[in-house]
Amino acid sequence: MNIRHFLVLLVLWLTSSTIAIQDDPVEGFFNRYAEPGLPGNSASVHTNNWAVLVCASRYWFNYRHMANALGMYRTVKRLGIPDSNIILMLADDAACNSRNKFPGSVYANSGRNLDLYGENIEVDYRGYEVTVENFIRVLTGRVPPSLPRSKRLLTDDRSNIFVYMTGHGGNEFLKFQDNEEISAFDIADAFEQMWQKKRYNEILFMADTCQANTMFSKFYSPNILATGSSELGENSYSHENDADIGVAVIDSFTHYVLQFMEGINKTSQLSMRDLFNSYSFDKIHSHPGVRSDLFNRPLDKTLITDFFGGVAHAEVIPESISRASPSPSSESPEDIFQEETPSNPSPILSTNTTSAMHPLLHDLSTSKLSRGTFWREAQSWLSVVLLALLAGLVGFRSR
Amino acid sequence: MRVPLTLPALVVVRLLLALSPLPALLKWDHQLSSPLTSFVKLQEGVHLYKNGIDPYQGGSFYHSPIYLSLFSTILPTSPLPSLVLWTAVDALAAYALLCIWRARVGEKGRSREGLVVAAYLLNPYLFLSNLALSTASIENMLMLWVLAFASSHNPSPSLLTLSLLTTLSLPSILLLPPLIMLLLSSPLSKLKNPVWKDIRRALPLLAEFIVYEVALCLVCTLGSGGWQWVGRCWGVGLTLPDLTPNPGLWWYFFTEMFDHFRPFFLMVFSVHLVIYVIPICLKFQHDPLYASFLLLGILGIFKPYPTLADPGLFLSFGVVFCEVWAYLRHPFPTFLLHLHSSLLLPLFHHLWLGDGTGNANFFYASTLVFGLAGAGGLIDAVWAGLRCGVGDVNGKVREGMGVGREGREMGEVGGGREGEMEVDWEVIQE
Amino acid sequence: MLLVPLPFLSQGTYIDENALQPGAVNTYWSWGDVHRADRYLEGLEALRDNNASSNERADFISKEFKRLGLDASTQRYHYAAATGAIDGVNAYAVLSSPRSSGSEAMVISASWLSRTGEGDGTLNLRGVSTVLSLAAFLKKYSLWAKDIVFVIGDGYLDGMHAWLSAYHGAPSSVLEADSLELPSGVIWTALNIDYPGHSFSHLGIFFEGVNGRLPNQDLLNSFQHISRYTGGVPVLVYDHLDPRDYPGREVEMSNIPSWLPDFVKNMEDVQEYSYAAKNVLRHVGYQARGMPSGVHGLFHQFRIDAITIFAVPAPGPHGFHAIGRVVESTLRTMNNLLERLHASFFFYLLKGPTTFMKIGTYLPSAVLISVALLFGGLGEWVNAGWVARPAFPSDEKSKDILAGPTQLPLKSRWTRRSRPVLPVLSIICFTHATGLLLFFLLTKSWVLDHLPVMSPILFLLVSLLAPAAFFSLPSQTLPPSQPFSTILKSFTLCLASTVISIISVLNFSLAATLAVLLGVPLSMVAPSPRVFGRIGNYIGYITLGFGWLFFIPQVQKAVWAWEVLGIWFAPFVCLVYAPLVMQAAIVCLFTS
Repeated sequence: MNIRHFLVLLVLWLTSSTIAIQDDPVEGFFNRYAEPGLPGNSASVHTNNWAVLVCASRYWFNYRHMANALGMYRTVKRLGIPDSNIILMLADDAACNSRNKFPGSVYANSGRNLDLYGENIEVDYRGYEVTVENFIRVLTGRVPPSLPRSKRLLTDDRSNIFVYMTGHGGNEFLKFQDNEEISAFDIADAFEQMWQKKRYNEILFMADTCQANTMFSKFYSPNILATGSSELGENSYSHENDADIGVAVIDSFTHYVLQFMEGINKTSQLSMRDLFNSYSFDKIHSHPGVRSDLFNRPLDKTLITDFFGGVAHAEVIPESISRASPSPSSESPEDIFQEETPSNPSPILSTNTTSAMHPLLHDLSTSKLSRGTFWREAQSWLSVVLLALLAGLVGFRSR
Repeated sequence: MRVPLTLPALVVVRLLLALSPLPALLKWDHQLSSPLTSFVKLQEGVHLYKNGIDPYQGGSFYHSPIYLSLFSTILPTSPLPSLVLWTAVDALAAYALLCIWRARVGEKGRSREGLVVAAYLLNPYLFLSNLALSTASIENMLMLWVLAFASSHNPSPSLLTLSLLTTLSLPSILLLPPLIMLLLSSPLSKLKNPVWKDIRRALPLLAEFIVYEVALCLVCTLGSGGWQWVGRCWGVGLTLPDLTPNPGLWWYFFTEMFDHFRPFFLMVFSVHLVIYVIPICLKFQHDPLYASFLLLGILGIFKPYPTLADPGLFLSFGVVFCEVWAYLRHPFPTFLLHLHSSLLLPLFHHLWLGDGTGNANFFYASTLVFGLAGAGGLIDAVWAGLRCGVGDVNGKVREGMGVGREGREMGEVGGGREGEMEVDWEVIQE
Repeated sequence: MLLVPLPFLSQGTYIDENALQPGAVNTYWSWGDVHRADRYLEGLEALRDNNASSNERADFISKEFKRLGLDASTQRYHYAAATGAIDGVNAYAVLSSPRSSGSEAMVISASWLSRTGEGDGTLNLRGVSTVLSLAAFLKKYSLWAKDIVFVIGDGYLDGMHAWLSAYHGAPSSVLEADSLELPSGVIWTALNIDYPGHSFSHLGIFFEGVNGRLPNQDLLNSFQHISRYTGGVPVLVYDHLDPRDYPGREVEMSNIPSWLPDFVKNMEDVQEYSYAAKNVLRHVGYQARGMPSGVHGLFHQFRIDAITIFAVPAPGPHGFHAIGRVVESTLRTMNNLLERLHASFFFYLLKGPTTFMKIGTYLPSAVLISVALLFGGLGEWVNAGWVARPAFPSDEKSKDILAGPTQLPLKSRWTRRSRPVLPVLSIICFTHATGLLLFFLLTKSWVLDHLPVMSPILFLLVSLLAPAAFFSLPSQTLPPSQPFSTILKSFTLCLASTVISIISVLNFSLAATLAVLLGVPLSMVAPSPRVFGRIGNYIGYITLGFGWLFFIPQVQKAVWAWEVLGIWFAPFVCLVYAPLVMQAAIVCLFTS
């Protein structure tokens, strides 16, 4: 091999690599809405699916909200989103409530045909963890480093997220456990932050509360499709009671959505349009709303499984990136280690300070208690004597 | 030391009452003792203190270290001796009121001294608080002695007592300006001798007060073994950590308020207390005793943790200013307001916390009525005081007013009695 | 005030608390349970026929409870009141909540005596057997989030009062009761079952408690809803049948005066008015006296919302089956409660089973009268201070102030009108002291035992005391006497107004009654120019104020209620009402 050959090879290699470098974004750009086997410009480009299911109520008489969320949980799981990709926020005080005639079960229909609680439920945020703050933190990813992976929404810019909320709401707010409330602005801002941080590709937001449509009225970030159970000034109603459980078991809107979903399987080609067309005032007794102005795919081309199902698209990442990406994480332990070393003497120091700062703690210990009280007594007598002296002095002076 | 017969007689009556089951019923009452003045809390604090635990480390003890020292050494904390002590406190307070009365009216008012004493000892606001062993009674006593010393021109004892009172309850410091004015002039109303002629004379008094205050702070620190008492005892009025209901106007606002507004409104409420001092001292510079009377009324309404004893002191103190009564415009409606609110307060308190049929808004509404009653009395007193002064300026018909009028009123002034809170006003006509 | 029963002032009842979920459950109370109740009834009837003592009855009942596997016990009590001693034994059992901590509890109770005739001796055997069989039935469920306490109180009110006092550790000077062996949680709600007849046609709700406290309306409304839709039993307020439910018999059953022409009687509105008025009057009758209308009322003093379910005796068609189902469903509803019933659902006037008046609608009727009295009093106060003496220049009025009655005025051109407050206040104190004395005497057993003799003596004593007070006034004040009577009247009016408006929040019926009794008489009172007029008026007012002394059984009952149950109606009458009227009577004695 002479130098000329080598130069040719070098040039070839350089050109091919530069072309390859230029090709990637270009190809990505053109292929963004073109997936093989589907009509161009309308298919989703997402590579993973997530669901955030929030039941914002607690207490026995809100059984139906628990059932709503669990019903959604069952559906998304059935359609292929794994537990690792589902964040379920649930007060979870229905199944094991002492008022529950069927302990350990939650049913969503009056015949009690299907136990939604079952054996395979993973509640990520339970009881008092269901707060507005935790919800926003989950969405925006601003979580403490100690938080386990199962409680995080580990999405990227290729994630489709299904956000479902149920509870007692009002005009532009939703109550969390009768304690605090989240406003429509809070959610809209959280979604915008997610967009800017490239935490989603598309979002389907669904709310089943009173005046639910006001919850998505403030959204302004792109690629969000939203739907709700009732208009401003309108209540959402429960669907049916179970006379043995003694409370309403599910809300109308969720009931009919779930009923529609029962006909869907992982390969279903039904679109969101079909779902929205199935809404009917006669059955739900409220006017469900849809907001698609932020969403830039036609609804009839958007598959239900784009949000409810789990995709298995894999994307091949170039080797160089995949090699580069783990490096910071491999470095970090060292950093941590280095940071730790100077802090070694601090425990000793801090114990010293505590002993100096809290003499009273020592007084408390039994051996020194008597001395402490003695000193106490002396103090108080001394202060009284001083007081008396002062009074006497003044009295003497003024005489 | 001659004392009208009423004083011992009423003290005996009081001692008999102290033996009745009444004190045990009253000592938990929110209207008679706030967390700052509650005897139960004091007992708890003293107990902790005696066992070598710093009571200020917990979240419920707000009394001054002076109380701590006194009650752990020379003063009793068991119920019966305490009741005797508290009765003695009231007797001393009534005597102080008598001294002020003598300094103000002189020999002329001698025949009514019994009524003056009765006005203090029979004021239901005061004697119920006293039976509940509220330390507000002690503070009232000290306050009256501050003014009594000042009225008899004993500057040092007066200033020392005020500084002691300030360590016990911070808002009392607002009384310092009128007190200094009082020490520089006399307890009589003098339009022709403005105090401000020789303002420099005030400085030594101020310095003396500061010296006493510093000394007492050191005593406090010594007694409690640290500086923590400053935040727990003085700070409590400024930061309002304890929202136990009381008849004042602060607690409900701060239960309803969002936390991020708290500091701002705490400042507003605290400053609001202070802004009255200078206008009143300026307007009533001819009569500093009256100015301090008005400030006591303001404290009774707007203090952070008032109890019934605070407005009670204002009402009973009003007895001293007999020449002003004639100018009151609406004493009878004020009396009715007091009657209504003093019945509504315990009733709504019971409906809320006992019966469970009402809620906090009920009680709050009654504290508003109570505040209205207090404000009605206060505004009337300001008006009457000003009117009195104007009358003097015009030089009309005021010859011998202090003397003759009092003599004539004598037959009509009622001492306080059951159900009458406003012994001093309701009696007098326009 | 007459407007209160009008239909347009009322509104339909509704349920405010979300958690209650009334009537949303299937009931499983079956004919087997009815049979069990019948068996218990046989046992109880045997006890009745053998004239069993309290002890035997309580033993029987607690034994039955124990047989069911419940923790059961008895409690012995003894009242030593001036009105007579009472002994008895209560039986009770606790069904612990199977799956929760048992920090809360609900009570199902029945007293041995029915509330019929306020405990006149009618036995409540079926009520007791309902409770027993319910205990057997409810034990089968594991869904109770609260303990269920079954209490069979001996006597009518006395047994339950002893049990509740012991449960809440509220000592009383007249009561000696065993402490309870079985503890349970905080009681929030209670149902008392009263089933005196053989069968029943309606279930009546009795709700007035001690000292006029009412239970939360949600409890009543839930029960009403459940009874109607789950049990199929119509609900009544008290035992008042609605005449409109009986076509053809309306006129005969209603309380519309018979002298009215028929077309008036048949008018729908008139019938509704008369029905509502009947309910409201019955309500006022209970609430104003502070007497509980059933055993449930005793619970109220401990902040427990409770009602009595009264099975209105009738030939049919309902029996154990219906009442069992209704109680079962009501308990499920009470079980759903997560916190105490709250909201301002404690102030209402029930005009029918499904219509009520809110506080804002009925309160003005009493408060208006009170305000009128207040203004009357202020007017008198002004009258007392200002007298138009044409001789004096008006500009001096503001300055001329006091001229004491004992002293001569300094300058004669000043008007001599003064307000002699001190003597008037002493009269007022005197009247209240008289009331106190009277009350003190009435609670002594040697007075109570000879009340027929003592009450005329007391009446005379009181009516002589008032003139004594009057004539003890300094005589030189009499010539310009008008201020005396006007000031006294002014004070009386203001005091009455204060009392009425304060009481109206606590006990509306009492306030309304006072407004009627005091409003017009106190406003009209005035010194009469003639001697006979004065004496006549005086006697009239004294009779108004103290005439109740002659209603001997009522007086005894009220004193008993004060001593045993702590109902402050008797002291209130003696210390507040009577002195106020007495002050008015003294006003009559003045010459005008």
